[in-house]
Amino acid sequence: MEIFPALLSVITDPTLLAAILMAAVVGMIVGATPGLTASAAIAMLLPITLYMSPLFALAFLYVIGKSGRYGGSIAAILFNTPGTAASAATQIDGYPLALAGKAGKAMKVATISSVIGDFMGDIMLVVGVGYIAALALKLGPPETFAIYFSAFVVIGSVIGKSILKGLASALLGILVAMIGLDPISGEERYTFGNFELSNGIGLVPLMIGVFVLGEVFSQIEERANSNGDTKVVGGDSDDNSLSWEEYKPCLPHAIRGGLIGAGIGILPGLGSALAAFISYGEGKRRAINPEEWGKGALEGVAAPEAANNAVSGPSMAPLLTLGIPGSTIGAILLGVFLIHGIQVGPTLFITDKELIYKLFACGMIGIVAYGTIGYFGATQVAKIILKIPTNVLYPMIFLTAFIASYAARGSLFDVSVMTLAGFAGWLMRKFDFNIAAFIISFVLAKGAEETFRQSILMSDGGALIFVERPIALGFLLLGVAAICFRIRGILKERKVAEGGLEDA
Amino acid sequence: MRAFIEGLILAFVSALAIWGAIQVPSPTPGETWAGVVPMGAALALLVISIWLTIGGLKVGANAASSASNNKGTIHVVLLFVISIIYQQSLRWFGYVLPTAIVAPVLLYSFGVRSWVGLALSIIVCPLAFHLIFFKLLGVFPPVGEVFDLLGKLQG
Repeated sequence: MEIFPALLSVITDPTLLAAILMAAVVGMIVGATPGLTASAAIAMLLPITLYMSPLFALAFLYVIGKSGRYGGSIAAILFNTPGTAASAATQIDGYPLALAGKAGKAMKVATISSVIGDFMGDIMLVVGVGYIAALALKLGPPETFAIYFSAFVVIGSVIGKSILKGLASALLGILVAMIGLDPISGEERYTFGNFELSNGIGLVPLMIGVFVLGEVFSQIEERANSNGDTKVVGGDSDDNSLSWEEYKPCLPHAIRGGLIGAGIGILPGLGSALAAFISYGEGKRRAINPEEWGKGALEGVAAPEAANNAVSGPSMAPLLTLGIPGSTIGAILLGVFLIHGIQVGPTLFITDKELIYKLFACGMIGIVAYGTIGYFGATQVAKIILKIPTNVLYPMIFLTAFIASYAARGSLFDVSVMTLAGFAGWLMRKFDFNIAAFIISFVLAKGAEETFRQSILMSDGGALIFVERPIALGFLLLGVAAICFRIRGILKERKVAEGGLEDA
Repeated sequence: MRAFIEGLILAFVSALAIWGAIQVPSPTPGETWAGVVPMGAALALLVISIWLTIGGLKVGANAASSASNNKGTIHVVLLFVISIIYQQSLRWFGYVLPTAIVAPVLLYSFGVRSWVGLALSIIVCPLAFHLIFFKLLGVFPPVGEVFDLLGKLQG
């Protein structure tokens, strides 16, 4: 019930409301701009939030993340280019609808379904997060380490094209996090005698490098390799209205998508793209008109959109209760908590309960904000995006990346880290490594190490402690099961592909 | 072939990480070794890199290399060189001068051909960033070790 006073408090704060509204607009534009991601925008804005109050900073970035997820659907429907990975499933039916002159209709379905899914996720978060936190308080270091371990494995193996490269990305993230002084013994690790390295690698420059500068590198590469313009469909003459009769068949798909998204969101690392595709597949399987899916079915827009937005709320649960971010946006938000001296974990609900519920309230108001703007003005947002001169935008982003990475700690060493991280981020993208796994593992590594070493001390040096405790064993097995399921999935896909070729 | 090279590079990184972990001194009695997690992660990375290398060898014979995207890679490398020079210039010359030089170079490399626009960026970019970050947010600007134009302008 803490959410109601929090909602009241946020609604009566005009400055905070203005920030939420601004974040909704920024997120939507960023999400809808092909090549720009909400993660990049949040990483770039992170240093600015150092100068804001914790609630203001967290609410601003959290709403950008939510709105950015929704904004991806605008690009998917109108430009046939998913603004975010999560909106790739929306593109399957969204673009054919736009080609058929129903772009406005498709965007309205996407908006309503996103709002339904996002609200479902947030309600589940508000209701369930207290219980998870209470449960998390009872976990000891071995159980916590087992959760970290399964998070590493799930994040590394489930997202991305290759299990091996995903796991390698996660391990690289852990190794980079190890640079600096050991927090327990004070011994230097991977510093090679360099004083600046003994302070470790900062989260802010690393994120800005990987997400922002890396993206600028990718954009200049794309520009050099292609000379094709983005084909845009949909206009004022389109059939933009949406009646209740048209949306009615979409509603069950949106609700099912919301449940799928919320369920997946609570598991670290699985992400909204997976939720969207599962929801799309499940929706098509249960649809009364499966033959229309893929050719321009409104239900095919509702199912993935509800799912990918429903991930947003529940993905905050592992972050807030265990300190385990479920997504890159979660990892950045963890950085904001740390920057403002707020310790994330089960005790957060004792020390900063009011802040957390106010953040949830801001998220809910953010949903209303992007829903309203999206329903009435998604086409206008698309027009704005088309007017953004990308040949000016990316150089400005490049320059902002440098100054933002410097501004975080006033350190030119951080600028060097950001530059190298940018190039590394581009290389990782180019060679199909998983940057999300890299960053999330970087963030998790210190906590995982601490709990691992505490467990070893508790058991007098024996690793059996992780197997002897049932909860710890359960999470370790979850990690192994995730890899097995992924391998099974890949083999199945390969079999289908081979079968397809034979048929041809 | 690509997977084989990726595996080899990862193997090199993991070997470096193993060597770095070995450098961590032994623990005092009753403590855990500070190198245990780096060593564990490095060894796991080595296993993955060997796996990737072997996988790369298996498919290597059939894979054809493509040189179609070389143009883009060259652009990225050039931009990376600009980044390195820019970040080093910030250390030597402070913020204003390097930004005034890099801004038109960047705009040109992204396809802006308007000479007025490029000339304007020399003034507008450092000024805008200076106002936002160093005035509005109150960040202390980097001072150039060799020459600092901002210091000269401010007297």
